[in-house]
Amino acid sequence: MTRLSDEIMALSDDYVLGLLSPAEATLMEAVIAREPELSRRVGRLRDQLLPLDLSADPMPLPEGFAAKVRGQLPAQQGTAVPSVDATPSNASGAPGRRALGLIAAAVAGLALGVGLTGMRPLPAPTVVAVLVDADGVPQAVIDDYGNDTATVRFVADVAVPADRTLQVWTLPSQDLGPISLGTLDRTAPAQLRFADLPDPGAQQLYEVTLEPLGGSPTGRPTGPIIGKGFAAPQA
Amino acid sequence: MHQHTRQMTDVTAFAPVLRHIQTREDDPLTDDSAKDRAARLNAAVTACAAGDQSGVDAILGLEGPQLLGLAHRILSRRDLAEEALQDAMVQVWRKAAQFDAGSGSARGWIYAILRNRCLNILRDRKRLSILDPGDLATLQEGRQRIVPEEGWELLAGPGRIRACLRGLDQPSRHAILLAHVAGFTHAEIAARQDMPLGTIKSLIRRGLHALKECLT
Repeated sequence: MTRLSDEIMALSDDYVLGLLSPAEATLMEAVIAREPELSRRVGRLRDQLLPLDLSADPMPLPEGFAAKVRGQLPAQQGTAVPSVDATPSNASGAPGRRALGLIAAAVAGLALGVGLTGMRPLPAPTVVAVLVDADGVPQAVIDDYGNDTATVRFVADVAVPADRTLQVWTLPSQDLGPISLGTLDRTAPAQLRFADLPDPGAQQLYEVTLEPLGGSPTGRPTGPIIGKGFAAPQA
Repeated sequence: MHQHTRQMTDVTAFAPVLRHIQTREDDPLTDDSAKDRAARLNAAVTACAAGDQSGVDAILGLEGPQLLGLAHRILSRRDLAEEALQDAMVQVWRKAAQFDAGSGSARGWIYAILRNRCLNILRDRKRLSILDPGDLATLQEGRQRIVPEEGWELLAGPGRIRACLRGLDQPSRHAILLAHVAGFTHAEIAARQDMPLGTIKSLIRRGLHALKECLT
């Protein structure tokens, strides 16, 4: 087993105990949803610790509680994308950068259809950027390989209207200005290929915007920002 | 008069059945009752995934008071606890299609969703800032008392986990309980135990490893 997957396993234990920040927990859920071995490990530990939850004193539900809940249920769409708790999640201080980077790397690896155990043989991404919205909730993870390819994986439910396109951008330097890495019609995992850019560096900005159909007409971001984040180098 | 007699007969006829159901509900320790509950919760989650709202009623019927009690233990306030349970049930509904019965029990999955929701409320400063200072103090004081150093056994219930927790060294056990039961972060536990953050992290990892070995 690789060191990385050991670390992810340990982080999944922290997740069950409730020790990850909300941003880390959201990413971890995206990994768990795609990795059966990790999912079983998490399920087993949950069940083992369940007696601790059952020791709380029961409290009667208020009158009409179930009806109130039923009134709030959205229509069931059978979506395969893990839904994301929309609670602002940047509140517990700076997320552990290292943990976030590791989980993000796992998410990015899974975007290529490669499980955790198979991650090491992959070319290591040069940088990983977790793009968050204005509330700090992770929306997408960009994995830039530094050879003019990158992957993007969305970890939140991002609604893309029929007449809009998602566009991925980076800012290699102030001189170059924002450069498009590609456009997407939907939030499925995607590989991006682009022309001659300098190798990505630490703290390089990445963002995803919602643009008119086909992409920004000006070659610069014009639409609302879905998420943005800075690159964290992968050792 | 005739009709009255017939009604009495009907009720009597159903009484043994009702008593039987009640006995099964009241005794979660028998295997049959635990299996029955697990099967009903699985069916309820499957119903939610299929868009059948009776799944939500079934979950609340089986687990509602225990779930609300758990949320109240973490959040100390009834209104926050009800809000957390309501949000959690909406999450259960939304995520039901992703539930994989092969990965663990529906019960564990549902409780985990509620715990996560409670933790997000606890860690959301914007959410807490609308509470007045007195309420915030109540919440914080409540959390301090959830995990006593003496008498922690009550938190573990009667099962095997109690013996396994007893086998851990005190600082590891206390740190694990502070995290899982009271929802404290690494940093909060480090401050409370007056230990460096790194020490707390390794205490918890080591303790959890030993706990899992003992429970498996």
